[in-house]
Order: sequence, then C-alpha cells, then structure tokens
Amino acid sequence: MKPYLTYLSKRLLQFAVVVFVGINIAYVVTHSTPINPVEQTISAATAYGSTSPEAIEMMRRSLSELYGLEGSPWQQYLSFWQRVLVGDFGPSLSAFPTPVSELILRALPWTVGLLLVSTLLTWFLGNLLGGLAGYYRENRVLRAFGVVTAGLHPVPYYVVAFVMLLAFGYLWPILPISGGASMAADRTDVVGFALDVVIHSILPVLSLMAAGIGGWFMGMRSLVSNIVTEDYVTYAELAGVRRGKILRHYVMRNAIGPQVTGLALQLGAIFNGAIITEQVFGYPGIGSLLISAVHAGDYSLVLGITTISILGVSTMVLLIDLLYPLIDPRVEAA
Amino acid sequence: MTLLHPAAASAAAEDDAAIPLLSVDRLKAYYRLKLFGIDREVRAVDDVTFAIGRNEIYGLAGESSSGKSTLIKTIAGAIRPPLAVETGSVCFNFSDGTRDIYRLTPRELGEIRWKRLSYIMQGSMSVLNPVRRIRHSFTDFALPHVPEKGAAFAERIGRHLERLHLERSVLDAYPHELSGGMRQRVAIALATVCGPEFIIADEPTTALDVIVQKGVLAMLRGIQRELGSSVLFVTHDMAVHANLTDRLGIMYAGRLVEEGRTRDLFRQPLHPYTRHLISSLPQIGDDTPKKGLEGSPPNLAAPLSGCRFHPRCPLAIDICRREAPPMVAVAPGRRVACHVVTASPDAVAPAMEEVRP
Repeated sequence: MKPYLTYLSKRLLQFAVVVFVGINIAYVVTHSTPINPVEQTISAATAYGSTSPEAIEMMRRSLSELYGLEGSPWQQYLSFWQRVLVGDFGPSLSAFPTPVSELILRALPWTVGLLLVSTLLTWFLGNLLGGLAGYYRENRVLRAFGVVTAGLHPVPYYVVAFVMLLAFGYLWPILPISGGASMAADRTDVVGFALDVVIHSILPVLSLMAAGIGGWFMGMRSLVSNIVTEDYVTYAELAGVRRGKILRHYVMRNAIGPQVTGLALQLGAIFNGAIITEQVFGYPGIGSLLISAVHAGDYSLVLGITTISILGVSTMVLLIDLLYPLIDPRVEAA
Repeated sequence: MTLLHPAAASAAAEDDAAIPLLSVDRLKAYYRLKLFGIDREVRAVDDVTFAIGRNEIYGLAGESSSGKSTLIKTIAGAIRPPLAVETGSVCFNFSDGTRDIYRLTPRELGEIRWKRLSYIMQGSMSVLNPVRRIRHSFTDFALPHVPEKGAAFAERIGRHLERLHLERSVLDAYPHELSGGMRQRVAIALATVCGPEFIIADEPTTALDVIVQKGVLAMLRGIQRELGSSVLFVTHDMAVHANLTDRLGIMYAGRLVEEGRTRDLFRQPLHPYTRHLISSLPQIGDDTPKKGLEGSPPNLAAPLSGCRFHPRCPLAIDICRREAPPMVAVAPGRRVACHVVTASPDAVAPAMEEVRP
C-alpha cells in the first residue's frame, strides 16, 4: 500500500502543478488583451447622457474592485488567485452585471449532459462493434459497417452536422433543429420537460456519434486484430474456452487500456464545450458561451471557461491514471 | 482416470497388439499461400504416418522448419488458413470411443479438448492472459471439463498445483508476478489439471535454462506417470529426447525419416540424417571437432524429387534422386525411410563411419 500512497501523492502534486501553470497562462494571455473592461463598462453606461465626473470616478473605483484591477499588477495577480479559489471570476463584461460563475453554471449542465451522453455512447458502441469486427472477421454485417465507417470517418464534422440538420429538419422534419428545449416549455412539469430536452438533444447527439464512432471502431478493430494473434488467445481457443468468454476476458480486456485513456481525455474535454455542435444546433452550452465571450472581448468569461476546462481535463487524466492499475495489473505504482 | 504402475505401464507400451491411442495416417498438410497472385504451396507435412500407444512419451525431433510444429498443429486440430489438410486422418482412440479429429463438429472438438486432449504450447511464457489472475485461467480452461464445482474444484486445483511443487497462492497472482520457471509449471499444471489422456507438448522447455529445464522435465515425466497419459513431446533438443522420451520420430523436411525406441535410435541410428543429429551431441571425453552438416534444408515450397535428404546425404545413390523412399519396418518397432539402409542395413554403419569426422 505504501508505494501506492507515494505514487498518489506524487501524482496529486503533478496535478496541482499542471493546473497552476495552466491557469497562469490563461491569466497572462487574457490580461494582455488591449481591452480595459472598466473603461468599456463606463463608456457603455455613460453613452446616453452626461454623468458627473465624481460619479464616474466612483464608478471607476467600484468597477476596478469588481474586475480585480486594483493596485499594482502583483496585487491584482494575488487577488485573482484569492477569488479563483472561491470560484469568483468577477462580473461578465458582455452580460454586465451577471457574475461569470453564474453564466458558466447556467451553461454547464447543457454541455455536460449533451457531451457526456454522446461521448459515452459513442465510446461504448464504437469499441463494442470494433471489438466484434476484429474478432469475428468473417461476419458480413460487421464488415459492411467497417466499410461505411471508413468512408464516413474522413468527412468533416460540420458537414455531417449540416447534412443531419437538412435531413431531419427540412426534408423529413421530425426533430427540432435548434435550442436545448422548447421556448414555451413548462419547466414545472418535470417529465414533460425532460422529454422535451431529450428530443432536442437527439440531433446533436446523433451527429456527434456519427462523427466520432469511426475513430473508436477502427482503433478497437486494429487493436483486437493484433491481440487475437497473441499466444494466450490461441491457447484459450485450443483449450476450447467459449468464444464469448475469450472475446470478453482475453481479447477486449487486453485491448481496452488505450481506449480508456482516450475516453478520459475526451471526457475531460467536455468542459471545453462542443463549439461547432452548439453553434450549428443553437445549443445553450459552454461552447456557445465561449464563442460569444471571445467576440465580445469578455475576458473574465473567457478566463472562467478556460479555468473550468483546465480543471476538467486535468481531473479526468488524474482519475484515469489512478484507476489504470485496475485495467492493467502490469501497470503499478511506478 | 486410471493410475498405472510404471512397470505395468511399460508392459502395456510394449504390447504391440494394443490399439494405439493416436494413429496418424498418411497425413498431408500444406500451407496454401497466394503471393502477388501466384499460388504457392508449402508442403510442411508430407505423407506422415505414425502411431502413439497408451502411456508412452513419444518424441518428435528435427531441425527448425522441418514441419514439427505444423504436424502437431494438425494433430491438435488447430488448423487455420493458410494451413490446410490435404489428405490423411488423425484418429484418437480415447477410453470413451474412437474419434477422427477432422470429422468432429467444433462442438464435439471442444468437448474432448482439455478433458482428453491437452496441449502445452511453444513459448509457454506468453500463453497466460496477462490481465487475468491464474485462478481465473484455471476456471476458464478446466471448469467445463471436470465434474467438480465450487469448493471441490478449488480443492482439485490446489492439490494439482502442490503436485507440481507450486504454492496455492500462485492462484491469486497475475502471470507477470511469477518467475519464468513458475510460469512454465503453471502452464503444465493448466494443461494437466483435467487428467487428459493425450498431451501434446511443443518445445515446452526451450526458453528455460538447463537447471530449470531439468526440473520441469522431471515434473512432466512424473505427472505423465501419475495420470497414465500419453505425451507427444516435440523439441529439436536431442539431449532432452535422450532423457525423456520412450520412442522417437525424426522429421526432415516435412517427412518422418526414422522411428524407433529412443534407446535403440541413439545406440544404432540408421538413417544418415539421424546419424548426423546424434553425432552432433557433445559427450564427455569426446574431443573430436564437431562438423556441421553441409548444405541447408530444402525449400518446402519447391520440393525435390526423390529423397529430400539426398543433396546432403553422403550415401546418396542414383535411386535416391528419383524416388522418394517409403517408410519400411526394418525391425519390430523400427522404421526408416532410406533406400540405402533398407537395401542392405549392414552396409550403412561402416560407410557412415568413413564420413564421420
């Protein structure tokens, strides 16, 4: 147990360093933009009428405090970290005076729900089918699926998304094409609202799956076709071990390692949002929020979203590293 | 499972009237390859006939690429393209009935595997699933083939491991946590836990150092005596054959060239190739320099006419280049495929003495 604790503490330290460095880079980059949020807000507030200089001065002081721009750069930096630790990124510039954290919290459930479901489904289906295709190489259905996937895989995601939008929104309009839920949805009716959300998510989820499944499928298929030639698989077949058991415990189990690492990276990236998906399907998630923040020069919002994704990716990578010995016993606290 | 006394066992092995446990009859197995649209066939096993009795260890020797591994693959029924059986049959005469291995459905084949016909594979270091505890490997391989379930099954495995001088705690280990010799013993335990009647062992000790090798071979011999199984033991290492096997078959270029009791074969090898194999063994006190056999084994994709050994044979005469020699019984239990030897067995020994260094 002791080596594992040493490993754990080392890994946690590494996590902390990565997060710290990442957030610092994001801080430096956003703070080097020529936009001064205080002046921007004041000019917006005073555009329609004259305000006394004293009032403007007071406004400037309280805004500077809100944006954390008081004092020397070093003091600003320290107060930034004080605020980050309690999850406060100041008010949003583009949606003044709503706090950044509130905007992010509002968008996060949409993005996480959409991407968690689609990423997990894509991963599961792609690996399952890829594993089957690699093991039962004579199966015609799986072969046909392989050919279709290989053809679809190079098509850029936005093309897939627009084709699906056209197909199910105009040619055969059975699904809603935009938004996370109906405008007039009654949010007190929990079941009805949930159903409404699910229906709205079908097109984005399907498009993400169509674009993502090929990579998992082909990766798993080639991993499996290497593993079926390993001695332990041949030997188990010679021993008359049932094929289903060989597929699960001998083939898939040995192939799944790299795929799990890939999944962890994708799950971490959920917090980046799916920018193209959310734009195409008008989905109210982190991706849309990030794009509008960049367009509006809303750097506290950009910094907030960046921090969340740095934390998300690092946490997922950390988790997978800690859980990896469960997947492959040969990887130990090394 | 019958436990035979060693003395009774060897008596049974000498009883020629007994139906052999394994009969291989005129077996031909070729690799059919298609390279750049050109069909090629590699005759890895070409017209091999032999039989293995109950309770004996039959050795199969020959240099690399002589078709040993292909022969045992076909005997084990592990035939995958491009390997294909052309003609011939492999018949097992198990205690519950005779079976032609190529006439069985996959299901029937699965039923005899491990229970009656078991296999110790080449490269035993890598035959254990790296992500599965040894216990689960035993469950996968043996549970469907033995009557015991649950605690009784665990007890059977535990006792069997102790028989092979392994601690029961190896069951909770992963393969990478065991040493090479332990893994080898686990592989042997895995192959013998169901008490199979026939065990195929394909170079099971090749990767081990001689000390561990000796222990593993003694263990294999012990477990064979205890179970009364027959073993087909394949290795290119003549020293191992001399110490372990009861009878020995020598393969050259996909054909069996000589067969007999190991003792007789070492004492008086008949086929010129066998002579070379045996004279290449080092002996204490023998300080004559060892000479390699000139030339190289023939290309099995374009086999020679006549005897396949004739380009390298010091005794080759005209007929050897034209006609393939048949396997002929020259004495009880002794067969050889050589025109010169079968024409005049006495002429061979002096002639060979001359070519020996």
